[in-house]
Amino acid sequence: MALTTLPTAAFATGSVGTSQLADGAVTTEKLVADVNFRNLIINGDMTVSQRGTTQTGVTSTAYGEWCDRWNFDASSAGTWTLSQSSTVPTGQGFGYSLKYDCTTADASLGASDYVALRTLLEAQNLQQLKYGTSNAESLTLSFWVRSNKTGTYIVWFYADDGNRTISKAYTINSADTWEKKTITIDGDTAGTINNDNGIGFRVNFFLGAGSNYTSGTLASSWQTDSNSIRAAGQVNLADNTANEWYITGVQLEVGTSASDFEFLPYDVNLQRCKRYFQRIWMNRSDNNFWGPQRYFDANNVILGETWFSPEMRTQPSFSYTGTPIIKNNGGGVTGWTGITGGQLSNTRAEVQFIKTGHGLTNSNTLAANLSDSSTFFKYDAEL
Amino acid sequence: MINLNKIISVTKNYSVPENIFDSYIVELENENPVHVPLNEANSDYQEILEWVALGNTITDNGGGE
Repeated sequence: MALTTLPTAAFATGSVGTSQLADGAVTTEKLVADVNFRNLIINGDMTVSQRGTTQTGVTSTAYGEWCDRWNFDASSAGTWTLSQSSTVPTGQGFGYSLKYDCTTADASLGASDYVALRTLLEAQNLQQLKYGTSNAESLTLSFWVRSNKTGTYIVWFYADDGNRTISKAYTINSADTWEKKTITIDGDTAGTINNDNGIGFRVNFFLGAGSNYTSGTLASSWQTDSNSIRAAGQVNLADNTANEWYITGVQLEVGTSASDFEFLPYDVNLQRCKRYFQRIWMNRSDNNFWGPQRYFDANNVILGETWFSPEMRTQPSFSYTGTPIIKNNGGGVTGWTGITGGQLSNTRAEVQFIKTGHGLTNSNTLAANLSDSSTFFKYDAEL
Repeated sequence: MINLNKIISVTKNYSVPENIFDSYIVELENENPVHVPLNEANSDYQEILEWVALGNTITDNGGGE
């Protein structure tokens, strides 16, 4: 007989055993509320945006000046402004969302055109999914979404190592209203996720797709990937410049039900994002310390170094934005003919500044004026 | 992450002062150049491989900085 009330007296020490509480009596859903890092997606609450907070004129696949770890993925499907937005669902604890704003429409997508938002998950962090075994775990995706354009949208899940696909539809029912959506997918008993630092899993939110991606039957169960089964039924968010789409609170977790969003401290979120991208800058306008000087050529090259914290996923690419001013025992110098990376590793990298007759004098340290949000070094080890 | 369609040129880069070929410099449309390590796990390196597979050629100006 099931209990309907709890006894008011405390249970005696050692009085609750398997005869009172059978194995499996407490379901996983009742236990996960405080499990840390159950969200397989990094920066699902859109709090971290190292590259910047808004970027206009976005047309092709890129990471950019919006929320970290989220990749704009598109081919010839309008022009967009992407931003970290403060428009959020009321009373849910979120501070930011990611916004897609269509600025040049494409009302008639070509067969191979598409636009999407995606995040790529590192394979070695997904071994607990046990893909390719009879114990492959189900996954549940939950997120908050809002758009003026109602209708059917597709989330496409793709596991690279086995070339396996599954897609699920959700509906935006009410215009300009935050709605929480939950999608569950089965574990892939025939799939593969390698135990390495490559791409293990992609979560793709389609926002528009041409007939190459919609002409088949939606892949509602795991199967070998082909273009036509990815996005059948998807509306075209690119069809009007009035269109916009917001998302936040994205969580992917093991199991068949969605738990509350797992909020992590900002510093933890930032550290996790830095495995994939690091912005090196100092928010001081004076003679900022940047790093040790490793090599000095009075007539040509100065070379300094940076150590990464945390270690990056792999050897990163280097680039920069703005106009770095470099100093060492002398006045600030701009007009460098080359600012390039050197000896790039996942723990340390160098930057070499090239300018004939730069006029600086030898020193043990380099200072770089990277003092505003648009001037910084970029190290990119994204998936 | 660089976009294959925005690549103008790819040039071998030699480290200073060791003068060892250790990376590529990628010139892009409307962006600062990106410096890419020789590492297959780097997604930009993969883009360069694709760019070469399309018939493009990497420039080698030699070292000797």
